[in-house]
Amino acid sequence: MNPDIVSGFLQASMASTLLATAVGSFLGLVVGMIPGMTISTGIIIVLPLTFVLPPDISIALLLGLYVSGMTGGSFSAILLNIPGTPSASATAMDGYPMARRGEAGRALGVAVTASFIGGLFSFCCLYFIAPILADIALQFQSQDLFSLVFFGLTIICSFAAKSLIKGLLSAVIGLMIVTIGQDPMVGTARFTFDQVNLISGIHFLTALIGLFAIPQLYDNISELVRGDGRARTKLNISRILPSWADIRSIRLPVSIGAPVGSFLGILPGAGGPIAAFISYDYSRRLSEDGDSFGKGSPRGIAAPEAANNAVTGGALIPMMTLGIPGDPVTAILIGALLVHGLAPGPLLFLERGDFAYGIIFSFFWANIFNIIIAFLGLRLLVKVLTIPKSLLMPTIALLCVIGSYALRNNFFDVYVMFAFGLLGLAMRWLNMPVVPLLLALVLGRPLEEHLRVSLISSQGDVSIFFTSPFSVFFLVLSLISVIWSIQAARKASQAEAA
Amino acid sequence: MTGMRKRNFVAGIILLILSLGYGILTSLLPSRGIENTTEPSFFPWIVTFCLFVLSGALLIQSLWAENSEKLPEIPEIPLTGIVKFIGTFVIYLAALPHLGFIAANTLFFAVLMFFYGERRPHWIILGSVILSVLIFFLFRDVFQIILPAGILERWVS
Repeated sequence: MNPDIVSGFLQASMASTLLATAVGSFLGLVVGMIPGMTISTGIIIVLPLTFVLPPDISIALLLGLYVSGMTGGSFSAILLNIPGTPSASATAMDGYPMARRGEAGRALGVAVTASFIGGLFSFCCLYFIAPILADIALQFQSQDLFSLVFFGLTIICSFAAKSLIKGLLSAVIGLMIVTIGQDPMVGTARFTFDQVNLISGIHFLTALIGLFAIPQLYDNISELVRGDGRARTKLNISRILPSWADIRSIRLPVSIGAPVGSFLGILPGAGGPIAAFISYDYSRRLSEDGDSFGKGSPRGIAAPEAANNAVTGGALIPMMTLGIPGDPVTAILIGALLVHGLAPGPLLFLERGDFAYGIIFSFFWANIFNIIIAFLGLRLLVKVLTIPKSLLMPTIALLCVIGSYALRNNFFDVYVMFAFGLLGLAMRWLNMPVVPLLLALVLGRPLEEHLRVSLISSQGDVSIFFTSPFSVFFLVLSLISVIWSIQAARKASQAEAA
Repeated sequence: MTGMRKRNFVAGIILLILSLGYGILTSLLPSRGIENTTEPSFFPWIVTFCLFVLSGALLIQSLWAENSEKLPEIPEIPLTGIVKFIGTFVIYLAALPHLGFIAANTLFFAVLMFFYGERRPHWIILGSVILSVLIFFLFRDVFQIILPAGILERWVS
């Protein structure tokens, strides 16, 4: 057996790492179930705590949060008809009707079980596919890497369904921000305005905290203005553990949701909500009692829950093997690894194979803790829904400020964080998606580096990108990605007009 | 011109100006004059070009193209609310280096509690003091992140 697998398993199974995974899972369930709090925001809040922890423990904590955040989203979807995360939107369609007829415990039990199976399935995909993909990626040269990163950037199009121009503009603004600081090739200071704090550039996580947290704080104030932000109190939950009959009945939707979620997780840009709705739709069509979907069917909960948790393992595959984030959460995870001096990508498996497998096994443990904590602590966990926002939101604000300060012990980063918050609000006012900017912040620097290295090695000949089979493959994929997104946008606008 | 088109028009103008400004700054970047390599301005020129073209496209779209784009579904807050929200942050950030994390955070927390609907004075005082102090010591003593205590440094060190 590969020694890295053994040391990875041992690393992930150490008491301290397991404790971090369990804490992460607990926090994930809490964060996921609070309406208005995304998993990204949860991870951002926890990030400063990880700066002082060793990288394996940090990533275990964050993976626990990621996995359980997906499950936690279903709790408020079922109990309040308010999805805690966008991925839990489909769960509410059957979960809430079940809760209304007094079967909240049963609905939650089905959701947790399906999430667990979906997560385990995606762990298997991660375990078997990631090392193979990393092996292939080791053969990539600079021109292939450029085309790969370029393909990663074309994901932008799928986040810009309403306006391709705005999606691309958002990405270009991100690329512009990336150029601040030292030139990656020759070290010349660019756009620093003699400001020492800008020489190392804008820290990705500082930008991220502002872009996600400030608009979130704003949203919650507006909820209160509409009188929608009061805490809920009456949450009655009966039997939680699903019966054998329930487990048998959800076999089909889970077996649809798990592979669909894992596959769509691998595809950058697709994400949890799409996987959940596709699985829900297929399960409804293929189930004998498809008519019961939408009226409180456990199958209608199992399909999206298996899918959105399966997305987590799928999304880790391109992140770990290629360094390409498929969604905002994996982009933040890349940032978290970079803080610890570890760059995700094929070299991670080659140089730090034990650590790479450690991540994979931490993901496994995260799924185990997810189901244990969810079942044991469910009645206690849902009390979180009664915490008043007047305590929760100021706490989040403080954690964001301290988090951005703690990155480099610098007030300048706090101001930058706030500036990005205002940028996030302005982008929302303009209906401009934030995710392309986020992806550009992650991928901008490698894009520039690989482009320039390729051109230097070919002495300025751009045909280098069309002679390597890998490069051509990724460029063709990029083209397909763009065309597919444009077609999808056209269809969406036609449907809206009709 | 109303709604989203007006917003797109304003954004198009701002981004066009931004692209010109960025282009000027790019042209001022020093050249390294190393043979067979790309200059530091190489990538920023690509970005300038893309930004210019896309902002122009947004501007043109806002003026002539048929635009069915709807206004974003952002919950509305009265203008005074937005000014108060941003103003509170600005004052807090300006005061933070001088007052330090405990004092500034406590005041900031209290104001935010009020914004988020808490009206009972004793809850605001208790909540803001306890949570701000708790968070401060959690980060400073447990997570070993040095947070300046500012005017209260003498008491907490």
